[in-house]
Amino acid sequence: MSESNFTTKFLKVFGIDNQGHNRRDPLNVWVPLISISLALVVGMIVIAASGRNPFRAYALLFGDSGLIPGGSAWRREFAELLIKSAMYIATGLSVALAFKGGLFNIGAEGQFWVGAIVATFFGYWAPVAHTFGTMYAALGSFGWIAQLLHGAICIIMGMLAGGAWAAVAGFLYVKRGVNIVIGTIMLNWIAWFLITSWLVTGPMTPPSQTFTSGSFYVTDTAKLLRIMMPTRLNTSILLVLLAAYATWFLLYKTTIGYEIRAIGYTANIGMETPRAQGINVSRRILQLMFFSGSLAALGGSFFILGLTYQFPNTATMGYGWTGIGIALIGQSEPLGVVLAGLFIGALRTGATSMQVANIPKTFSNIIEGVTVGFIALQVAVRYYLVKIIQHRHSRANPPADQEAAA
Amino acid sequence: MKALEVRNISKMFPGNLANDNISFSVERGEIFAIVGENGAGKSTLMNIIYGIYTASGGDLLVNEKEVKIRSVEDAIKLRMGMVHQEFMLIPRFTVTQNIVIGDEPHKGIFFDYGRAVREVRELSERVSLTVNASALVGDLPVGVQQRVEILKVLRRGAEILIFDEPTAVLTPEETVDLFVTMRKLQAEGKTILFISHKLKEVMEIANRIAVLRRGKLQGIVNKKDTNEEELARMMVGRNVVLEIPKVDVEVGAVAFACHDLHVRNKRGYEAVKGMTFDVHGGEIVGIAGVQGNGQDELVNAMIGFSHPVSGSMELNGKNMRMVTTAQLRKEGMSYITEDRARRGLVMPYTVRENSVMGQHLGKPFSKGIRMDYDKVGEFAEGKVKEYDIRPGDVYDTAGSLSGGNQQKLILARELSLPHNFLIASQPTRGLDVGATEFVYRKLLEEKKAGKAILLISLELSEILGLSDRILVMFEGRIVGETTPDKATEEALGLLMLGVGIDKKVQS
Repeated sequence: MSESNFTTKFLKVFGIDNQGHNRRDPLNVWVPLISISLALVVGMIVIAASGRNPFRAYALLFGDSGLIPGGSAWRREFAELLIKSAMYIATGLSVALAFKGGLFNIGAEGQFWVGAIVATFFGYWAPVAHTFGTMYAALGSFGWIAQLLHGAICIIMGMLAGGAWAAVAGFLYVKRGVNIVIGTIMLNWIAWFLITSWLVTGPMTPPSQTFTSGSFYVTDTAKLLRIMMPTRLNTSILLVLLAAYATWFLLYKTTIGYEIRAIGYTANIGMETPRAQGINVSRRILQLMFFSGSLAALGGSFFILGLTYQFPNTATMGYGWTGIGIALIGQSEPLGVVLAGLFIGALRTGATSMQVANIPKTFSNIIEGVTVGFIALQVAVRYYLVKIIQHRHSRANPPADQEAAA
Repeated sequence: MKALEVRNISKMFPGNLANDNISFSVERGEIFAIVGENGAGKSTLMNIIYGIYTASGGDLLVNEKEVKIRSVEDAIKLRMGMVHQEFMLIPRFTVTQNIVIGDEPHKGIFFDYGRAVREVRELSERVSLTVNASALVGDLPVGVQQRVEILKVLRRGAEILIFDEPTAVLTPEETVDLFVTMRKLQAEGKTILFISHKLKEVMEIANRIAVLRRGKLQGIVNKKDTNEEELARMMVGRNVVLEIPKVDVEVGAVAFACHDLHVRNKRGYEAVKGMTFDVHGGEIVGIAGVQGNGQDELVNAMIGFSHPVSGSMELNGKNMRMVTTAQLRKEGMSYITEDRARRGLVMPYTVRENSVMGQHLGKPFSKGIRMDYDKVGEFAEGKVKEYDIRPGDVYDTAGSLSGGNQQKLILARELSLPHNFLIASQPTRGLDVGATEFVYRKLLEEKKAGKAILLISLELSEILGLSDRILVMFEGRIVGETTPDKATEEALGLLMLGVGIDKKVQS
């Protein structure tokens, strides 16, 4: 089929081949595309039903989403798109990786915020911050080295913490049989209230400020470098693409990924095949949860080091939840997650300007929600796609030809 | 009068012609057998007749009238009934509840259980199929459960009964009972379609036999005019040696030994109650027994899935009682399972990925944490040729292969692992004649190579044909040990059913 050839060639450009994969299924590409198209149609109907012009709404939504170059504000919109997408892709990768191992890590949200708070801490904590501050001053024009190192330490510590947070749920699952969904969702709330109700209203706030001001600010050396002045675009998008590549590499190039996927494929039938081949299933599940959690935490560190520079008291949940949708739209494949993350980032970027034209922001939420809804219905979408393909196939090759060919 | 006629039925799946222009007719009151290898198209054909699939072309006639069967409901209305291989019964319901489900007698909106029980009793007397109408189905032996299934079909007024490999789950005794039942139904004028790949059974029960191969009808023969060899030839298209050649090998050192082994099942009951045996290099030890007498638990203990509660277990002289599967594998254990989908293969994985599982760590298939998929591919290509795994594309998923080819893939993998002790648990279950022969040949080659082999099987002919020593397992114990030249199928069958064992002495 030409679609699959195209996909293969497209992927080859990025050095991604079929090694370690099943033969590529073109439906993996078509299902999300069709779901998105259907969602856009549903969105139009909803907008029209509310008495507004759907074409104008979409023109504004996509015109200001940063996806389409041109216009005076484009550079800023493009930067916003990438900044948002970087965080969504991180949580999307987190959920997708766990999915591959048959685990529904619904706790990307909590892991995201654990990563954020730990990154904040290492961003302002005097022993670290002071060291890099001094180093920055001493290095002169090579000060960026201090910035890279400090940022890296914040991110790595955040990832370790987020990974450990997720591994707690993995541990409860492996040792005590606590369902991973239950474990991770509970840990979400524990993390959230531990941070928002205690850390950033108490120990991590400057004494001179009021309790509503959030945590200390990270020092300048901890902030992510900006890469497209004058916009606030930073290195997060590059780091997350690196993380996507690493996730892909882990899944399809390493022995761990080979075992993780075998576990994932057999998760609903007791994982007996991998166990019978001597694979240490428990250890792999713990590792998988750690990797998954650290990816979500990476997103959390972007939030702090690239945007807010402190843990703000206005932080609201949602990055981890969005990650679940993105993993679904991206069919749990790293490349798919990147594309889905960009799509959702674009919707959210464009939504603001749609609002300016008196079209509620929630319409873009409707499109997102309906897309995920159709993805969740992918069994049905696949079913009809296969039917259509079969129908065309049987018209092109009547049974008589088949017989001759066989 | 023709009860059922099939005219030029074809069924095409994408890339596969499952049924190719099949025509035959079945007389009323006839037992008509359909045999063929796995994947020959038997199940597809039955599913078309029973309305689960629709045919791509061709006509169906019931009682010499052309009919359209679009759903199972249509088939039931035409007085057809199917006894599935996997029973469609609810274990926590009584026999009566199971039989009347879907068409319950009622008083107003209330279920009239009393009348249901009376109806079931009447029915079971009328067709002389004895069941206890108020027993819980989950407590009944498999043979009786099947009887419940048959009664369910009869209550819906079935005149044409389709039996889909009904003997696959039965003991030899239960099979005899089933055949008695089938003859009774035949005497009542019912028409029976009997799907099987066990030639011996087909020769015993059928009036006429249709042979399918690769979706095509090879021919229809009268039982009187044929024999097993001819049928086997028609099925596989070449001569198949069903006789297993004898291989004499010098017996080597003890590879596996267990002493007074006790193993609990998942629910905590002791299922293996003190087994003592050993397996030497160069010999095949067969464990015969009816399913559910502790074989599964024994295997689970031997592959490290569960730890024995007491007793000893040694592999190559090393204590293996409390170890993991990985350690057993390292010490030289290989395992061929009957449950290919659950335990043998990762079905969505390709042939390539499946071929190295268990030896993927370290050289030659990985360096550090990096898998070397080129090496994996080369290895798989080699094995596909050596074991003739079809269709032969290493990028096909294991799930897309036929049962026989899946088992070949498992053999290819397990026999290429470094091992000296092979556990073969029902290695030919569900396989066709060709694949079965292949498995036998491989097991004998293993024996020649001096490996120790433990063969666990429900098929007596297999046990008798391959084993050097036979252990009979009943209720978690070894109740007899014999050799194939001294044993007969009848004597073994009785032992397997626990006849002639004084239980008081045993426990």
